[in-house]
Amino acid sequence: MAVEVSRRRFLQGSVAMTVIGGMSMAPSDLFSNEEEHGSQAMTTKTGTGEAKIVPTLCEMCVNKCAALARVENGVVTKLDPNPMFPKSRNMLCPRGNAGIQALYDPDRLKYPMIRVGEKGEGKFKRVSWEEAYDAILNGTDKFPGLAKILDEEKDNRSTIFFCAGEGMAEHTFKTFFNGFGSANWLNHASLCLRTVVSGYGVTLGAYPQADLENAEYIIMAGANRAEAIVTPDTMDFFKRTKGRGAKLICVDPRFTNTAAKADKWLPIKPGTDLAFVLALTYVAIMEELYDKAYVEKYFDGFTQYKNHLYSEGYTPEWAEKITGIPAKDIYEIARDFMKHAPKAVYYPGRRSTFAKNDFQLRRAMAIFQALGGGIDTKGGLVFGKKLPLKPHATVAPMYAQAEGIDVERAKGHPGYSDCAIVSGGGSWIGFRNRVLEGKGLYPIRGMFLYKHNPMMNMPNTKKTAEFLKKLDLIVTIDTMPSDTVMYADVVLPECTYLERTDPVKTFGGPEPSIAVRNKVIDPMYETKPVIEILRGLTEKISKPLFEITKKYDEDVQDDIADRGEEEVYKDFDLTIPFKHSQEELNEHAVSDYPGAAEALKEHGVYYPNMDKWFKKVSVNEHVYYPDDKKAYTVRGGKPKTPSGKVMCNLKNIAKKGVDPMPTWRKEYEYSVPEGKFRMLTGRHAQFTQSGTSNNAMLHDLINENYIWINKRVAKKMGIKFGDMIEVSSEAGSTRLKAYPTEKIAPDQVFFIHGFGEESEELTWAYRSGGNDNAVIKDDIEPVYGAAVMHSTNVEIRKV
Amino acid sequence: MARYGMALDYKNCINCKACEVACKEENGVLLGADKHRIWVGVKEIEGEYPLLNIASNTFYPSQCQHCDNAPCEEVCPTHATHYDENGVVRVDPNKCILCSYCMNACPYDARYVDDRTMTVDKCNFCSDTRLARGETTTACQATCPTKVRIFGDLDDPNSEISQVLREREHFSLKPHLGTKPKLFYLM
Repeated sequence: MAVEVSRRRFLQGSVAMTVIGGMSMAPSDLFSNEEEHGSQAMTTKTGTGEAKIVPTLCEMCVNKCAALARVENGVVTKLDPNPMFPKSRNMLCPRGNAGIQALYDPDRLKYPMIRVGEKGEGKFKRVSWEEAYDAILNGTDKFPGLAKILDEEKDNRSTIFFCAGEGMAEHTFKTFFNGFGSANWLNHASLCLRTVVSGYGVTLGAYPQADLENAEYIIMAGANRAEAIVTPDTMDFFKRTKGRGAKLICVDPRFTNTAAKADKWLPIKPGTDLAFVLALTYVAIMEELYDKAYVEKYFDGFTQYKNHLYSEGYTPEWAEKITGIPAKDIYEIARDFMKHAPKAVYYPGRRSTFAKNDFQLRRAMAIFQALGGGIDTKGGLVFGKKLPLKPHATVAPMYAQAEGIDVERAKGHPGYSDCAIVSGGGSWIGFRNRVLEGKGLYPIRGMFLYKHNPMMNMPNTKKTAEFLKKLDLIVTIDTMPSDTVMYADVVLPECTYLERTDPVKTFGGPEPSIAVRNKVIDPMYETKPVIEILRGLTEKISKPLFEITKKYDEDVQDDIADRGEEEVYKDFDLTIPFKHSQEELNEHAVSDYPGAAEALKEHGVYYPNMDKWFKKVSVNEHVYYPDDKKAYTVRGGKPKTPSGKVMCNLKNIAKKGVDPMPTWRKEYEYSVPEGKFRMLTGRHAQFTQSGTSNNAMLHDLINENYIWINKRVAKKMGIKFGDMIEVSSEAGSTRLKAYPTEKIAPDQVFFIHGFGEESEELTWAYRSGGNDNAVIKDDIEPVYGAAVMHSTNVEIRKV
Repeated sequence: MARYGMALDYKNCINCKACEVACKEENGVLLGADKHRIWVGVKEIEGEYPLLNIASNTFYPSQCQHCDNAPCEEVCPTHATHYDENGVVRVDPNKCILCSYCMNACPYDARYVDDRTMTVDKCNFCSDTRLARGETTTACQATCPTKVRIFGDLDDPNSEISQVLREREHFSLKPHLGTKPKLFYLM
């Protein structure tokens, strides 16, 4: 058999910079005093001499895969997969390999800085850590400090809010938030997996993992595991697709790399997955294909749900009109799925909310999965086990003046004005827009922000910029001069993940383990890990802020009268959680497991019996747990809900105005006005949102993002490959180059998220491609206030 | 002494390009889209939305085929391109005069110019990095998320690659040219 294989030249620009040239760039006042420290070629050939190998955990995305860092003469020359970690199974993806470029990125934040220009202008001056801490407490002539703000707000700590991106040190930052006493915490959840976690949570009692290593039939809808890599899922099933044990049905409006590996690709109309799942459920119930014993034992509200499906008429023929998927395919898939169940998975996914009905969609998916009995069982969805860690000392004082979470309650309604439930991670868009519109319960004056980039990560960038300008004090802790950092008043440079030890973490699943990110080399420049940043900051601000509490907090005044100031202050001493080193905290956390601390230092990974069970079985494969020791089933199939049942009918949420059973509504139907396109966004395997946007090596793979336009439509519009296109909506506009392709529908366009940053300090990312969030409007879904990503219609024109 | 080859379970490939990055970091390959020792071949999909030909979008991971009968070696006027003791086709940068005959002769387009040394470069199975350190995998094999590659000694009947080539159907690229590649695509 002869196959012509053309060399890859497609969709790739050449990085124009020469090897050394990249290093001497970005000579602005922000990066003056550049030291020679990072001046090395962009890639370094590994040597054959002496090297130190340090086990660590990757932070190029959220997966935390285990890596072995090779250090030669103090320089990290290679990152290799660490085969001992059951979660990442001996692999590193392109981003994991490119972590070296994050470490040696010449644009990195190197020194503490304070703002000297106008807000958002990006003009800073280099200061010492002490000066930066002082500016946070006391302000400068450009911005007020915490002392002034909290005095003016009479110690209402909630006027300062905290936000963080996902990461192992997020825990450390949150410890600071808890001590500080604000009620307002925002994380990435409402921009990411809030609705899927909650949908499965209220229906099954947990957001389960999928056992893709053993599933025989997989429906992957709106998830793209070939490009949005999740470990171990990605590794577990692509070795078995294409007639090799795992049948894959890919449901996605566009043809992804996952579709390329599927047995069947079903191009669905955006936002209509709920109708597809309801029809699958209809067939499974009407044809009595479901696991009757499981339903009898573990379902709550089955008959009501069945009657609901019947009375609403959720037939495949009905769904065909809404989804565009032929009724005969829906019948076939429902039958095949139930035939393979319980070794069949309707993959839960862990993606952004795409449509307003997302919470209901996830509920419907969980119920359909459970109908086949594939819950807490091999080849289905699994709860798994987790190895518990010991908690450490923390501080959580009560501030009488601190008000509750800033959420506006609409009059006469049990819920809130913009969503029914506000979870711990908040509704980012809801919060931002309330502040912008001045609707809050009290003023929001300042923010502490860790590893988070609101300018890039949430819809309607224009509004985010206005929001940031409104805040009196912005303190950012980050590694890169992102678009958001440009709006900061005080910039605290964190070291990269290869320069720090992070809080040890336990990873649940059928093969549970504990893993740690060990420091590979000492922090470069004047950067520090978050724990050290917060140690210095809390030493500076703890006492002065307590003075403000004393002034306004009558409870504290009474308490001091009773117990004396020294005793009372012990409860308010913000420095307590940061006194110990991360290494000491980690040793304490695993002290219940004999030998764990040593194993984590030596191997980066620990689980009981690892020394006996971990084995290499081929040049590529390893065994972590013997098959009979894997925790596929931990509850005999019983859901983790308080009732121990699969909850079909949630009467309590009906009180908040949410459909108690998954229900299709007319307003969910897909339509695009003539001349417009539905804007889709997504991921690929080479970048992680805006977090890796300036990575030189990854730009080598994909220099910029391109807008997918249907080939025939492009031809009609006179658009050719590489033409510059302006994409615009009511929210704003962005520009990027065209990629005409048949992989997308004629009335849709798509481009990858994370490109088009505006910070001039980013050599590679600056105006490279287009920013999706400049165009996506800020719709939120009604249950958790999560950002809806696929509801925007856009216009395109060649420029 | 060995005769190194590679078997590729190409159906596992998801075109993530981890292999390409691992190769560049391991071997100090220049940045730039045309500067690569390893790549994934993919063609634009055939058909019209929504009736697309899934099979036309197959991914073919590839690199130097390390032919037993290598045209590049045959045409090299300075013997810069040679077979090393393990049957790996290598380029000696000290002898290369950048005449680029080899680049034209290679039917697999596996060669590029290293602008630092102004010589031709290509995959060498990590011979002067990983293998020189006594490791038994190439960077591309070790890092691959879906474990496409099996690298090993074709002369050792007990090696995993020998075993898999005995047991599974496979094909080579452009076999009609008689180059006898040592990259084998597993079906």
